[in-house]
Amino acid sequence: MNILETKGLYHDFKGLEVLFDVNLQVKEGERHAVIGPNGAGKTTLFNVITGTYSPSRGQVFFKGKEVTGSQPNEMARMGMGRSFQITSTFNRLTAFQNIRLAILSKRGIRFNLFRRVDKMQEITAETDEVLKRINLHQERDFPAAMLSYGKHRALEISLALAGDPDLIMLDEPTAGMSRDETHNAVELIRRLTEGKTVVIIEHDMDVVFSLADRITVLHYGEILATGPPVEIRQNQAVKDAYLGETEM
Amino acid sequence: MRKYSKWIFSGVIVILLAVIPQFFSIYYANFLVAFAIFSLYAVTLNLLLGYMGVLSFGHAMFFGVGAYSTALALTHIPGFPLLPAILIGGLAGGLLAFILSPLLVRVSGTAFAMLTLAFGQLIFVLALKYREVTGGEDGIGGYPLPPLNIPGVMSIDMTDQVNFYYFALVVITICLSILWFYTKTPFGSLVVGVRDNAMRLQYLGFNLPQTKAINLIVCGAFAGVAGAVNALLQKLVSTVGVLDINTSFLPIMMAYIGGTGNFFGPVIGSGVLYLLEDLVIRFTERIGLVNGVIFILVVTYLPLGLIGLFSMAKEKWFPKEKAS
Amino acid sequence: MSPTVILYISQAIHGLAYGMLLFLVASGLTMIFGMMGILNLAHASFAMLAAYFCYQVLRMFGNFWVALLIAPVIAGMFGVLTERYLLRPLHKQGHLAELLVTVGIMAVILEVVKLFWGTESLVVKIPPSLGGLVTFAGMTYPIYRIFVIGLATLVLGFMVLILFKTRLGKIVRATVADSDMVNALGINTPLVFMLVFGIGTWLAGIAGVVAGPLLTVFPGMADQLGMDAFVVVVVGGFGSLGGAFIVSIILGELNAYGIQFIPRLAPVLMFAFMAIVLAVKPLGLFGERE
Repeated sequence: MNILETKGLYHDFKGLEVLFDVNLQVKEGERHAVIGPNGAGKTTLFNVITGTYSPSRGQVFFKGKEVTGSQPNEMARMGMGRSFQITSTFNRLTAFQNIRLAILSKRGIRFNLFRRVDKMQEITAETDEVLKRINLHQERDFPAAMLSYGKHRALEISLALAGDPDLIMLDEPTAGMSRDETHNAVELIRRLTEGKTVVIIEHDMDVVFSLADRITVLHYGEILATGPPVEIRQNQAVKDAYLGETEM
Repeated sequence: MRKYSKWIFSGVIVILLAVIPQFFSIYYANFLVAFAIFSLYAVTLNLLLGYMGVLSFGHAMFFGVGAYSTALALTHIPGFPLLPAILIGGLAGGLLAFILSPLLVRVSGTAFAMLTLAFGQLIFVLALKYREVTGGEDGIGGYPLPPLNIPGVMSIDMTDQVNFYYFALVVITICLSILWFYTKTPFGSLVVGVRDNAMRLQYLGFNLPQTKAINLIVCGAFAGVAGAVNALLQKLVSTVGVLDINTSFLPIMMAYIGGTGNFFGPVIGSGVLYLLEDLVIRFTERIGLVNGVIFILVVTYLPLGLIGLFSMAKEKWFPKEKAS
Repeated sequence: MSPTVILYISQAIHGLAYGMLLFLVASGLTMIFGMMGILNLAHASFAMLAAYFCYQVLRMFGNFWVALLIAPVIAGMFGVLTERYLLRPLHKQGHLAELLVTVGIMAVILEVVKLFWGTESLVVKIPPSLGGLVTFAGMTYPIYRIFVIGLATLVLGFMVLILFKTRLGKIVRATVADSDMVNALGINTPLVFMLVFGIGTWLAGIAGVVAGPLLTVFPGMADQLGMDAFVVVVVGGFGSLGGAFIVSIILGELNAYGIQFIPRLAPVLMFAFMAIVLAVKPLGLFGERE
C-alpha cells in the first residue's frame, strides 16, 4: 500500500514554477530517498506534502486519504513527522524539554492546565527513554543551543521521530556533518525507523545508497526517474543530469 | 534543606506582610497593595513577553477595561457584591483579549507590538471621548466599596483600610499562585515552545493560533483582575492611570528590571520601581526620568534583569557541578 | 464663492499643512524603519526637543529664522548621538531591545523637557513676517500655514532630489532596502545609518519648530504628533516614502475634516483604520520589509 502518494502535483511561487506534474509513490515501510541538484524542488515538495504550502495544482494522499492543503499540525497528528534542513529546535529549552514537547503532543496532551508537567511520571519516563535511545541522555539538561553540532542535529531529527509517526520526512539530516557524525546519524536513523516509512532528502550519495530502498530523482521540479538504487545508478538520464561528476 | 528554605522564606514574607499594618502607617500598607497590584499586572505582561516571546505594548487596555468594569458595576448596580466586582474585572479583561485574539494570533514580533499599541491607544481614546459612560478625563469615582460577605458567618467592612489591605493581598497572592501553577502545566511548557520556535510546534501537532489565544486570554483576564483591585484601592478610575500609555509601559519596565526570564522577575521589578519612586520623590518630581534612565541601562547592560544578575553572581561564586 | 465651499477649502489647506508636517516626521521614521528594522518611538520626541530648542533660541536671539536654522540641526545631532551610543550597541540584541530603548529615550526626553522648561505650555509666536492673512479668490487664509506647506515642500523636494539624483542618495536607498548587501559591497553602512538617523531627526526637528506656533510647545506635543506619524508609517508601509506621503496627506485631511465634522469619531476612525490595515496587510499598504 502506498502510504504517501502525490498525483499531478504542481507548485509555483508567484509565477515562478517549482514543481511540475510530480507523481510520487511511497510504499509503506520503505526507505525512499529524494535526490536532485540544488533548486530541483525537493524541499518545496516536502513543504507541499507536510502542509506548509497548499499546492497550486494536484493532490496529496496520506494513508489513502486525501490531505491536500491540510495544515502542518493536522498532518503531524495524522502521523507524519518532519525534520528540517536548517536545525530548528527549541533553543532555550533543554534537550529533555524539547523531546517532552513531542511526547506531550503524541499523547494528545495539548491544553492540559491541571497538572504539573514535572510531576507527570509517565511523560518524564518516556522522554528519558527516547533520550537514551538517541544517546542524548547525558545532555538531558543542556539547553539545545549548547549542544555540539552533531548532537544538535540528532535532537533535530529526534523531534521528528519522538512523536512516533508512521511516516517520517527527513530533510538533509546529515547536512554539515563530519564523516563520523554522518555515520552515527545514519545508524540512528536506521535504528529509530525500524518498521516505519521514511522519505529522506539527501545530497550525500553514500547515505542515499546505504539507506534507500528506492530513489526518486527530481530535476527542475520534475521526476526524472524512480526505482531501486541499482536502476538509478545505471539510468543514463540521471547520470547526465545529476550524478555526472560524483564518483560512484 | 534547600526545599525547606523556600518555605521558610515564604513564611517569613507572609508574617512580615501580615504585621505591616500594625506597625506602619496606612500609607505604607496602601503602598504595598499598589505594589502587589502592579506585580500581578506585570506578571501577566511577562507571561506574554518572557514566556511567549511577544511584547504587549498596549497592556493597559486589559488593566483599564478591568478597572472600568468594576467601577461601572459598583456605580450602577446597587448592592453589587465584592467578589463579583473583582470577577467582572477579570471577565472584562479576558473578553477583550478574546475579541482581539483572532487578529493578535496572526502576528508576532514588531507587528504584534504595534498592533497592541494601536489597540491600546484606540481604547484609551474611546474611553476619553465617551464621557457619558466613562467620565472622560475626570473618570468615575465615589462608588461604594462593598463588604466581604461570608454568608452566614460574618461581613467584613472593606472601607476599613486595614481589612482591605489583607483582602487585597490575599486576592493577589491567590492570583499569582494560580498563574505560577499555570506556567508549570503542560500548557505552560507549550507557551514557552511558542517563544522558542512557534513553527516547529505546528509540525509537532500543536494548534498554534489556539495556543496563543488561550495564553492571551489568561493574561488579559488576570490583568483585568489587577485593574479591578486597583479600582477598589484608588476608589477612582480615570483614563490617566489605567489606560494611558504610561500604564502600558510600566509593566514592561518592571519585567525587564526584575528579569523577564523568571516568573518573579516582574514582582521584583515592581518592588524596585515602587521603592525607587518612594525614594526619589523626596528629591524631585521627575521620577519618570530616573525610571527611564534605569530602563535604558537595564535593557542595554542587563537584559536579563536583576534576577539574571543574581544568577550570574551565584554561578560565579557557587558554581554548579556540571551534569554527569 | 459660497461660505461652505470656502470652509471646505480652508479645511483642506489646514489638512494639507498638517499632512506635510506629518510627512516631515514620518519620512525620517519610515526610512529609519526600513533601514534598521526598528520603529523609533522616540522620533516625535526629537521633534518636540527641537520645538523647545526653538523656544530657547527665540528667547536668546529673538529671531525665528535663526531658530529654524539651528534648532533642527541640534535635534539632528542628538539623533546621531542616540544612534551611535544608544542604539548601535544594542544591534546584536535584536529588534525588541532596540524598540524598548527607544521607549526609554522617549520617556527620558519627555522628563528632561519637563525638567528644564516646566510642564506648562510655552508660547512661540508666529514671526511678524509670516503673520497675518492673505486673500485670494475671495478667501482669506493665514499666511503661516501656507508657509508651512511651502517650507515642507521645499525641504522634502530637496531630499527627494538628493535621494534620487545623487550617488549618496542611491547608497542611502540601497541601504534602506538591504543594508547587509550594501555592507558586503564595502560601503561603510554604520556611517550611512548615522546619516539617515541624523537627517531623519533633523527633518523631524524642522517639523517640531514649525509646529510650535500651531500646536503650542508643551510636553504632550510628541504624543499626538508621534502617534499620527506612527499610524502613517504603519499604514503607508514600513520603508515606503511614497506610501508615507500619501497616508500623511490622507491623515492630515481626515484630521482636519474629522475634527470639524465628527469630532468624537475622528481619532477612533484613525486607529480602527490602522488596526484593519495591519491585520490584512501586516507590512502596511506599500511596505516591503517585515
